[in-house]
Amino acid sequence: MAPQKVQTKRLPVTDPLDGAPIQLDQPGYYEGFSTLSQQAYWDDATRKVVLQRMTAAHPILFFTPAEAATMAAVLDRILPQEDRTAARRIALLPPLDDRLFHNRIEGYRYEDMPSDQDAYRQAAKAFEQMAQTACGRSFHELETMEQETLLQSLHAEKPTAPEDAWKGINIKRFWALLVSDCCSAYYAHPWAWDEIGFGGPAYPRGYMRLEEGQPEPWEVDEQRYQWAAPADTLTDTPASEQTGEKVQSQAGQGGTH
Amino acid sequence: MSPFPDASPKAIVQLIPPPFRSPAEIVVDHIQHGTFQRSMALLVCSTSLISGMEVGYEHYRGSFSNPIMYTPILLSGVLAAAGGAGFFSRRAAQTVMRWASFVTLADGLIGFGFHIRGIARKPGGWRLPVFNLVMGPPVFAPLLFGTSAYLGVIASYLQREEDHGWKGKTIDAVKTATTLRKPDWREDIRVGRFQKHLCVVTAIGTVCSGGEAWYSHYKDNFKYRVQWSPVLLTPILAGAALWSLRSKRAANTVLPVASALAMLNGVVGTGYHIRGILRRPGGRKKPLYNTLYGPPIFAPMLFAACGMLGMMAYLMRRERS
Amino acid sequence: MSLFDRNKPLFGSFGKPKDGLHHLGPLQQIKPPQRVFRDDEEIDYLIVGVGSAGGVLLQRLARAGFKVAGFEAGPFWDTERDWVSDETGSHNLYWNDLRITGGTDPLALGNNNSGKGVGGGSVHWAAFTPRFHPSDFEVYTQDGVGADWPITYEEIEPYYQLLEQELPVAGPAWYPWGKPHGHPYGPHPMGGVGDTLIDGCTKLGIGVSAGGPVAILSASRGDRPHCIYRGFCIQACKVGAKASTLVTHVPDALEHGAEVRDNSMVSRISVKDGRVDGVHYFDRDGNERFQRAKAVIVSGYAIETPRLLLNSACAGHENGLANSSGTLGKYLMAQAGNVILGRFDQPVRMYKAPPAHALTEEFYETDPKRDFARGFAVQTVGPLPIAFAKQMSVAKNQWGWGLRRTMMDYNHWSALGLLGEILPWKDNTVELADGKGGRPEARDRYGLPVAKVTFNLHDNDTKLIEFGKNKTMEIMRAAGATEVVQEARYAHLVGGARMSKRPEDGVCDKFGRTWDVPNLFVMDGSVMPTQGSANPGLTIQALAARTADYLISQGSAVFTANGRDLTSPPCRHSLSPPGTFTKGIPHLR
Repeated sequence: MAPQKVQTKRLPVTDPLDGAPIQLDQPGYYEGFSTLSQQAYWDDATRKVVLQRMTAAHPILFFTPAEAATMAAVLDRILPQEDRTAARRIALLPPLDDRLFHNRIEGYRYEDMPSDQDAYRQAAKAFEQMAQTACGRSFHELETMEQETLLQSLHAEKPTAPEDAWKGINIKRFWALLVSDCCSAYYAHPWAWDEIGFGGPAYPRGYMRLEEGQPEPWEVDEQRYQWAAPADTLTDTPASEQTGEKVQSQAGQGGTH
Repeated sequence: MSPFPDASPKAIVQLIPPPFRSPAEIVVDHIQHGTFQRSMALLVCSTSLISGMEVGYEHYRGSFSNPIMYTPILLSGVLAAAGGAGFFSRRAAQTVMRWASFVTLADGLIGFGFHIRGIARKPGGWRLPVFNLVMGPPVFAPLLFGTSAYLGVIASYLQREEDHGWKGKTIDAVKTATTLRKPDWREDIRVGRFQKHLCVVTAIGTVCSGGEAWYSHYKDNFKYRVQWSPVLLTPILAGAALWSLRSKRAANTVLPVASALAMLNGVVGTGYHIRGILRRPGGRKKPLYNTLYGPPIFAPMLFAACGMLGMMAYLMRRERS
Repeated sequence: MSLFDRNKPLFGSFGKPKDGLHHLGPLQQIKPPQRVFRDDEEIDYLIVGVGSAGGVLLQRLARAGFKVAGFEAGPFWDTERDWVSDETGSHNLYWNDLRITGGTDPLALGNNNSGKGVGGGSVHWAAFTPRFHPSDFEVYTQDGVGADWPITYEEIEPYYQLLEQELPVAGPAWYPWGKPHGHPYGPHPMGGVGDTLIDGCTKLGIGVSAGGPVAILSASRGDRPHCIYRGFCIQACKVGAKASTLVTHVPDALEHGAEVRDNSMVSRISVKDGRVDGVHYFDRDGNERFQRAKAVIVSGYAIETPRLLLNSACAGHENGLANSSGTLGKYLMAQAGNVILGRFDQPVRMYKAPPAHALTEEFYETDPKRDFARGFAVQTVGPLPIAFAKQMSVAKNQWGWGLRRTMMDYNHWSALGLLGEILPWKDNTVELADGKGGRPEARDRYGLPVAKVTFNLHDNDTKLIEFGKNKTMEIMRAAGATEVVQEARYAHLVGGARMSKRPEDGVCDKFGRTWDVPNLFVMDGSVMPTQGSANPGLTIQALAARTADYLISQGSAVFTANGRDLTSPPCRHSLSPPGTFTKGIPHLR
């Protein structure tokens, strides 16, 4: 097969002059693909669950307003969405808040971790302390780069924080929990499915083109283009091909076998 | 006189260079007088072996989940044996082969019903026609399976090769007992006058086989442009066959051309399908699995068989009425 | 083609669930279960947990005419109303109640390895159904590690054949590993991940099995349709093509007068004069009740079974019921389940086709050339977006834009799973989080101490994982992956109440009857002394069918006598659900 065409007209995602992100309704390489347009082919129960996920109002009940502001800023850095237009951003905090409020846990807690609720409360406080210590401002008021530097230090398990801010929390496990919660919220949304070219719910209609990555009649072919993340970020790293030998699965992964 | 040159089988045979002309003449003569029962019985034998093999692995894919799925395999064995017997014995051809063919034909029709039901019972049923056609039991396969049985029925009514030129005349001219009753379709077959009849069957077979080609290649997203060829040839061959019902000239011109193309297409297609199997992951190291789930080897041959029916129709004489 | 490209099904929308009917797939419908035993009615067999083992036991014993009830902590699923074709929406299939996990290599629990609701784990298994190898039953004899089973392969073989018919199992007609055998249903077509495995293996000259063995229908059977290759196996199969006891055995059990008491959490097994006389349980409204029974079978799986027995400690059984050997809750096993992910230049779209559809057991047995005992299998997996995102965040150590970028390539990745045998170790345990003896304290909503799970890898395990991981990565590269990463994790849980030849080595005998209490049985994954590198589901169900035959052959002796008869029962072929034993293709047994 021919190599993938690079669509130069959509290069780059950030404006070459001022570095501001060019916002799209649907980032990703599947222009025009919409899982929601196929909802007549879903079963009732699934349609109800997915549509409710998109429309239901989620008042913040678990986090206090201050914690919510901090955590919203943190989640925005774990899965940034500046390339999405404001109306097409996927809310990450409400599903997390809802989960904690209704105590929907993954079925376990690590011996060296407090409950998810306690961990997030303490973390919200710790992020705020880190921001105040390092920059003298609230976490959600910091520049993107400042926020990412703080998060990077946590990711490296050496948080630039007052001594006891993370006491009692296994940072490696908390980081995995945090990223996992963000992924659960973001990639449960039909807009995210459109972005990555995932077919979405598939019952009663299943798939017929099983091999060679062929799209179904209602799916679209990939149209790759090159893009660059906004200039002020640390996280657009290709990440070295590491074996992850010591990286144990922290969260109950979606049970792949 | 027609401005076009004569393209009837007899005229075409004259264009064949001398050493081959004479056998070709004999073949055409036999076909036109319905005196080819033995050859036809052999054909029935071989085609039912092939379709038995095909239905065998297709139903293996379907895990024989219903015991009735064994019947086409058993019947194609029976029909192959009957075809063999029909080659040697006139009596066998007119009895065993005829009965076996009718039973097999009925089995094909019943199977057609089961395949339609199978699609209806898939999630979404006929509300998802394309998906369930592609992923469900192949709907036309039982009808196409009936092709060899149909040939068997035809063969059972033909005259044998040795009847040709009986006492200097073909039975056609003798008009013995047949004059006592009204000639019907059996009589037409007997004397090699069933061109229109064969055209109808060709058209039906082509549409079924082309339909299968369409949805199977659609499943594969028409990845190669050549996958369109049987789909495009289908209306041409079916159209030519139907046109031939009304026009003798069409039967002498468009029909043989379209049929030849279909036969060629089937042969080329078989080559592509074999290549497709070899190019699958594992290739020749997983021969059985890749034959099972790779491009179906026999499907293009079925399309070629429809071309062959069309070609036979071209060689045939037209019905009297 | 525009007719078919429309965004609506032909002839209008799909049908809705029917009032008054309970749906087990699109075609199979039953009347909501009716039979209810009174609490003071003494039932013959009370089964705790209606999962893989419980469902089979329930069906067999009901067919044999016993009064039998299955108590299930979760709901009786209606597949059309309760299940969805969505990752997040399927969260309630798992045992999500709190457990504490620790040790040097703590296990992730919940969605990974335990189910809640009728059908149990078989509702969300990927349905790989390889048999154990003959060597699995004598690991200690052959390699001097682990343990021997009190039974041999030959004793369980007829039950493998039986269950492979009943589920049924689709796979090749010739399966070369272990004791060679075939399968009653034909193999499945390949998806992108299967192609990866086949490509990689054949290029390296490694044998590989295509299209099975999986307990997913490759052709319709009765009122269960053919697989539609939608890839949501572990989110529960709405199609009913994937076998779960909910659709294969429970309907037949109900037909024969069994009761399934759903949303009923058994809290304690009651013992009187050395024999079990019933169970205490919390009903759907949270009221504590007591159900009398002549015998009790615990089928709660590797964590809840030891937990229930430990929570049932009483006078004479101070360390937990049936724990005179001290092995209850010990020798817990999980399999190494590293996921190896490879990026291909061409799209793969691994969300299509069942996650389980090809595997190799070429490395299953001990190889003297390697520096560890036992081996591993390599299987296909097909993570959906959320699972994949979590895996990549670990495997590539990414977050932020890097993670978004990787995820945009979702359709270019393929994933293989290692399934490595981890040996049974005494320090891998299930205990109670009761706050005693230095253990943490945590209780569930009924006030019962939850399980505390401890897991540590040992030298043999780490060597095996390292080797298996590298071999799988090699396969992935041979298949043409340009970037290969991996994430360490574990799959499956067995052990914790193992069967043994001698009372001092385990909790129960070879039929699951506990050594200490003659009318108390354990039958589920927890009875396994070792686990091989085969997925445990088929073996659990085969063991359950065998125990059912044993109980039937014992008749009422179990209810009255304290003696222990260890003669093996004949394998009964007359107890299969209707229309299952004779169907399917002729194959090598």
